[in-house]
Amino acid sequence: MQKAAVATSPLAVRIGRLELAYPTLGASGCYGSGEEYAPFIDLSLIGGVVLKSVTRYPRLGNPTPRLVHTPGGMLNAIGLQNPGIEHYLEHDVAKFATRPCAVIGSVAGFSVDDYAYVGERLAARSEIDALEVNISCPNVADEGETFACDPALTARVTAAVRAVTDKTIIVKLSPNVTDIAAIAREAEAAGADALAVINTVRGMSIDVERCRPMLGNVTGGLSGPAIRPIAVLAVYEVARAVKIPIVGQGGIETARDALEFFLAGASAVCIGTANFTDPRAPLHVADGLRAYLEKHGHGSLREIVGKANVGFADAQQYEGDSG
Amino acid sequence: MQSALAAPSIHATVVLDRREPGPGIVILGLEAPELVALVKPGHFLMAIPPAGVAAATALGIYEADGSRISVMLIIVGSRTAELARLQPGDQLDVLAPLGNGFFLDDLPKRVAIVAGGVGLASVLLAAKTCVERGARAELLYGARTKAALVDVELFEGVGASVRCATDDGSRGYRGFVTDLLEQGKPPELIIACGPTPMLRATAGKAEHLGVAAQLSLEETFGCGVGACWGCVVPIDRASPRAPSFPAADIHERREHANARVCKEGPVFWAHELRW
Repeated sequence: MQKAAVATSPLAVRIGRLELAYPTLGASGCYGSGEEYAPFIDLSLIGGVVLKSVTRYPRLGNPTPRLVHTPGGMLNAIGLQNPGIEHYLEHDVAKFATRPCAVIGSVAGFSVDDYAYVGERLAARSEIDALEVNISCPNVADEGETFACDPALTARVTAAVRAVTDKTIIVKLSPNVTDIAAIAREAEAAGADALAVINTVRGMSIDVERCRPMLGNVTGGLSGPAIRPIAVLAVYEVARAVKIPIVGQGGIETARDALEFFLAGASAVCIGTANFTDPRAPLHVADGLRAYLEKHGHGSLREIVGKANVGFADAQQYEGDSG
Repeated sequence: MQSALAAPSIHATVVLDRREPGPGIVILGLEAPELVALVKPGHFLMAIPPAGVAAATALGIYEADGSRISVMLIIVGSRTAELARLQPGDQLDVLAPLGNGFFLDDLPKRVAIVAGGVGLASVLLAAKTCVERGARAELLYGARTKAALVDVELFEGVGASVRCATDDGSRGYRGFVTDLLEQGKPPELIIACGPTPMLRATAGKAEHLGVAAQLSLEETFGCGVGACWGCVVPIDRASPRAPSFPAADIHERREHANARVCKEGPVFWAHELRW
């Protein structure tokens, strides 16, 4: 990437050792490997793509239906379908070298050892700029989300991946927990460079005519604008608990939506489901952010990160619009 | 055998015309000059919702002529209802053309085209191509009742013959449209698009008759462009359309792979499906 240009752009951000020309990333699982969207947008105008998660062994994924559209979003239960790390390294990773944006690999697993093994092998590749550690997939029967729901396991997985790479690692947290701040602190203490907040919210939909769950996997993960307030709160709480950067995500469709995340404390955002409405969404978000910064006289996005992250007492003192 | 992939892109179209040939059925004609030349029979598009809420909708490309394409909507929910409100002059952005079309390079003499519901939209161009290439194309068209059978004359207009089936016998044969495959001289190739139960029945009849069948599948799409892996169907691992994944781990040792309907499909040979 063109580091000089990055440093001077008002939208440039830094996540750990990762410099991003834009604060907008394609969200893992929604963006394929980036090439699927290359016909529709110029990938050099997004910060990066977070690749679909890869596991140690190949996975067939869940039975269909894997998707159901719901009010304000969609439920999915893909089940981490992927070719496994060996095949992935041999056949897929080389293609990522041509992406004109950052390429963030995503690692999923079923044991601490899985994460370390896959993380080490993936991070060793020059095509991969950083790693997302997906400890929060809600759609695998065994232990997908267990890691993100247990502070001690979160710490062990994070430390295990930290031990095998110096590249930036972003630990992806689940909203399906009682105290996300406690989990975030464990990940930070174990060596995470950044936190991705949030993964999908567990949900279910039922076909009332057939009297059966809509999804083949019975339960799924809810995404889209329906979960945005949940995600904004999670970013707010995590930002108050840790010092490392946050990659906010959950129902972002517009610049206004993204601004909520930045103001709550995120340093970058992922855009996922909104691409299914319009692949130009990340470009519209970046344009709108630039306009907002100009309108409000900010020199860079960094100036507004966490600006609305005020406590209850402070919020009472703030004078908003009257009437 | 696989149709060449045309490079898709975002096309800004304008609604030229709108008609309602049946209850809850809307045909939108779209001005899309660059798209027409790229469209092959069986291609689909993703229509970006004008108000920007909810996901884009996958629609089969119905007609493609001059500078106009058309799509068919059957109103089943809020997304199709929104698109159905579009009027001439309105703009509609689409991702297109998407998917692999029907495999029409080596056509036999007699082709049966089975369609139901909105699946009709995906087979008109195929019927036209069959006739142009010297095959006798017959549309076997099924619906619940006569009022839901639309645009039969468009198929006759491209030179296809038509037999209809309705559940209530209000037009044509009373019963399943797939029964028509076994009435009269059997076809040498079957092309089908429609609801999954109809496609499954078509695959069964095709196997019974010993005839190859191409099925354009209907599945709930997320992205429509191959990114999300939400719309898969199990297919034979040996198929050229199967993802080149190695055999799954010991928990999942089956002889199939999950292929994306939007990317590897939506057209598959019936015999390669493991559904």
